[in-house]
Amino acid sequence: MTVPKLFQWLAGVCSFMTVWLAYVVGYFSVNLRKEYHEIIVVLPLYLLISFACYSLAVIGYRVATFNNCEEASIELKQEIEAARKDLEKKNYKFISDWK
Amino acid sequence: MPAPGLDQAAGWGLVSLAGFLFTYYSIWVIVLPFVEPDQVIHHFFLPRIYAIAGPLLAGVTALALISVFVLYVTFTPKKSKQS
Repeated sequence: MTVPKLFQWLAGVCSFMTVWLAYVVGYFSVNLRKEYHEIIVVLPLYLLISFACYSLAVIGYRVATFNNCEEASIELKQEIEAARKDLEKKNYKFISDWK
Repeated sequence: MPAPGLDQAAGWGLVSLAGFLFTYYSIWVIVLPFVEPDQVIHHFFLPRIYAIAGPLLAGVTALALISVFVLYVTFTPKKSKQS
């Protein structure tokens, strides 16, 4: 049985947070350089920001590479026209005048 | 058929903005602690406390705007009056 993506992510996030919290609270005594300590303390926020940047980049990329299809648009408009005429014939009352 | 020109520009603009933000934030948080305080590069970056205060403030503002929007949409009657 494949584990759903959500549970995979939650498992990863929870294990990371336990280790990180243990370090921040001082559960185990580790003597790190001041710079490493500074970085590790900010790590969750940094990961969150990089995830947000990644999502933004993916959205932008999909917007940029989403192909236009002229013929499908024209065909759809024709079908809508035909449907409208057909329904008007059957005395259907339209709410809007959308063409 | 490729996407319309405006769409492409907006899309790639978003990508470059995301890339810039990521690089700036990464250098700020990860690279700068290892750089001597008297190097010139520090002039390009705000004091480090803003690396936490900035995103925090942005997140709080985003949440506030979203909740205002949700409440507004919930409590303004459109066609159905709330009886």
